Amino acid sequence: MRRVAVALFAAVTVTAAAVGYHTVAAQQRIALADMAQDSGQWVMPSQNYSATRHSALDEIKASNVGALKVAWTMSTGATRGHEGQPLVIGDTLYFESAYPNHVYAIDLSDYHIKWQYTPKQDPFAVSVACCDLVNRGVGYGDGKIIVNALDGQVIALDMNSGKPVWTVHNGDPAMGQTLTSAPLIIKDKLVVVGVSGGEFGVRGYLSAYDIKNGKRVWRAYSAGPDSDTLIGAGFSGPKNAGRSTWNGEQWKVGGGTTWGWYSYDPKLNSIYYGTGNPGTWNPTQRPGDNKWSMTIFARDADTGMAKWGYQMTPHDAWDYDGVNEMILVDLNMNGRTIPSLVHFDRNGFAYELDRRNGKLLLAKKFDPSVNWATHVDMTSGRPVVDPRYMTKAGTNVSGICPAAMGSKDQQPASYDEESGYFIVPTNHNCMDYKAFAVKYKSGFPFVGAIVKMYPGPGGNRGAVIAWDPIKGEVVWTDKERFPAWGGTLSTKGGVSFYGTMDGWFKAVDSKTGKELWKFHTPSGIIGNPISYTHGGKQYIAILSGVGGWAALGMAAGLTEPTAGLGAVNAAQDLKNYTQLGGDLVVFSL
Amino acid sequence: MTLRRLAVAAAFALAAAAVTAAPAAAQPLRVCADPDYMPFSNRAGQGFENKLAQAVGHALGEPVTYVWRSMRGPGGFDQFLHDTLNAGRCDVVMNVPYASENVLVTRPYYVSSYVFVYAKKRKYDITSLDSPVLRDLKIGFEQDTPPETGLKLRALILHSKPFDVGDTPGESPADILAAVKSGQIGVAVTWQPSIGYFMRSYPGLVSVPLPNSRAAGTVEQYVFPMAMAARKTDTRTRDALDGAIGRNKDELQRVLRSFGVLIYTGPSDVQGAQT
Repeated sequence: MRRVAVALFAAVTVTAAAVGYHTVAAQQRIALADMAQDSGQWVMPSQNYSATRHSALDEIKASNVGALKVAWTMSTGATRGHEGQPLVIGDTLYFESAYPNHVYAIDLSDYHIKWQYTPKQDPFAVSVACCDLVNRGVGYGDGKIIVNALDGQVIALDMNSGKPVWTVHNGDPAMGQTLTSAPLIIKDKLVVVGVSGGEFGVRGYLSAYDIKNGKRVWRAYSAGPDSDTLIGAGFSGPKNAGRSTWNGEQWKVGGGTTWGWYSYDPKLNSIYYGTGNPGTWNPTQRPGDNKWSMTIFARDADTGMAKWGYQMTPHDAWDYDGVNEMILVDLNMNGRTIPSLVHFDRNGFAYELDRRNGKLLLAKKFDPSVNWATHVDMTSGRPVVDPRYMTKAGTNVSGICPAAMGSKDQQPASYDEESGYFIVPTNHNCMDYKAFAVKYKSGFPFVGAIVKMYPGPGGNRGAVIAWDPIKGEVVWTDKERFPAWGGTLSTKGGVSFYGTMDGWFKAVDSKTGKELWKFHTPSGIIGNPISYTHGGKQYIAILSGVGGWAALGMAAGLTEPTAGLGAVNAAQDLKNYTQLGGDLVVFSL
Repeated sequence: MTLRRLAVAAAFALAAAAVTAAPAAAQPLRVCADPDYMPFSNRAGQGFENKLAQAVGHALGEPVTYVWRSMRGPGGFDQFLHDTLNAGRCDVVMNVPYASENVLVTRPYYVSSYVFVYAKKRKYDITSLDSPVLRDLKIGFEQDTPPETGLKLRALILHSKPFDVGDTPGESPADILAAVKSGQIGVAVTWQPSIGYFMRSYPGLVSVPLPNSRAAGTVEQYVFPMAMAARKTDTRTRDALDGAIGRNKDELQRVLRSFGVLIYTGPSDVQGAQT
């Protein structure tokens, strides 16, 4: 089917210009959803609205991937963590580096830089960004490249000239708000943008802007009265819970930031995304469920009104943000085809829901070491928490699995349409947590949590796994020395790709996990592979450039074990394997 | 006296054919300090940590030497400790909260608190974070300190302005006073010993201690006893410091007071501007 779509696309656009069948003028007449069906391009951060990251290209396959070699490379000009991926639109590849957020448009015919843009930013953003100065990529729509900058700016650039068309401030670094996620462009008219931070008790929100002029269309908060959370008559859950599940006015600083990935179902006209941890880290200071933190939301794309919300981790005590990607697939369960949403959460559970109504279909651990909850009660949908691993004031709690960075963080999984498996990059760290300890910020005493992270059972700190969504079990596991902090790409050729923090870019058999090929890139990888075609040839592209929370020690020059919310201890030896530095590395046969 | 220093002393004694027991007294007190962070310390020896080090060195009969490193680089104070004290390059940190982890703390030698600072002429009725007038004021605070949590618990943070002096080399704790004076913020909440020294330059400002609280349903600590620190394993140095603190309490307090440090005695204290 997809091959047919590509052929049709070419036929439609072939008359448009002489520079090749992918031309800008032609694309502007083609709906984004249709463009995403063309495997030769990569027009959205997560490849398509369903966020499957599965390429229908099959020139590269298990039998020949061993001959894969470097086709071209380019420095990004930045050294911090590169968590994103390029876009390929027509003959041009676009990508954004880590802070200072350089944006490039590269001509794929000769690799020259068509334009480069670097936003002018508020430097205070650097001091409030929690977990390295990462970026997860640009968006595209309506002839514009949409750029999210660390300091909260959203900038629409003309895709041909790189000149700003409009700029909005989606957050204020002075209030702890930053922006690291990639935007999602919906129906060629809405730019959906989240917010990072929470250090000063930011109340998270998701915003939609008009792609023509940057005018805000709606904003949905993650906590507060129903008028703020855009909950109305059409919502299936409890009313006013964004207020009633908080003590006093704490909802005003309720957290629930929205810094992950966003997906969309055109048929239901629903946006899906997850919210982050509640306001303050210390759970004893915020009694209640703290809704709607840690929640999977479905919202109407045009109005932002909530359709349903499912809270995965009520009253979070571990920092298990629920922001990871929502992958939309149709699952055949018990003889019925169900439009589903599959989500691998930081808390170590894989959730599968009916995306029409939020009904929980399955919730199972995707790492057996997960111990903070024994299971999810399928009637109430609530986790059954093991009190031994509940963090509380003045008590040392040891051996909590997973650690705060979760069994999986934002690194996106892919859905391999051939095998029916999800290829999931995971973390495998545990932690000791001391909720109250006296500390010193140079010149200022304070009381804070001390978190120490260390490798989980077995000693590996990460793994890439295949998940069977029907059986709800892990099919294969490829252990990794460090957290698998980069995303995956599966392909019709039966090969899946991912990068590792120690710098390897790997191809494995999607059905068995068997390693078929690997290449050592200039830096560790925390980015997400994509595939595209140019001149009829298949390419695989990846951003190499280690950093992010998992490599914060190296990125920020820290060696004290408890620094970086405890992450430094868990990656002390990374320096023996790699160094900082951003590069785009592209492969072909 | 650290074990390493004892070993050096022993080797020296052997080489010198054990002529005298005196060299031990000539071993320096190696202090880990920030070369540019007033009022705490600087390379010119003008900070209160410098003066305290002199007093302790004098009491122990040891000359003071310094290992300088910024406390405000990447990784902040924890990284500072990791690279200096815990790396064995120096043996004493003059000023840390009592009960700090990863070091061996002495007995506390002073207690101080976070304070509100505002323009005297405003005559605000502020005694705690629950004082109603705070709802109408823009509040400046040092980020990642206990008042930040207190402001969050009361949703006062929504009209607050963060400062990040403790993580930013080159900035001064006096910056928050300048912001109060200029009216950029209505009230500041900051650690008193960081601004007491500068208050004399701001005669129009007044400071009021912030008492510990349980008012929001959870323990909020704003009063901290402060101590000196030795390496985790270095009980000898810690014991020597404890002895010096015990014998020189008045002298240490005199040094602190000369830097405008308010010794906390209870929630009713009010420190006016000093001249």
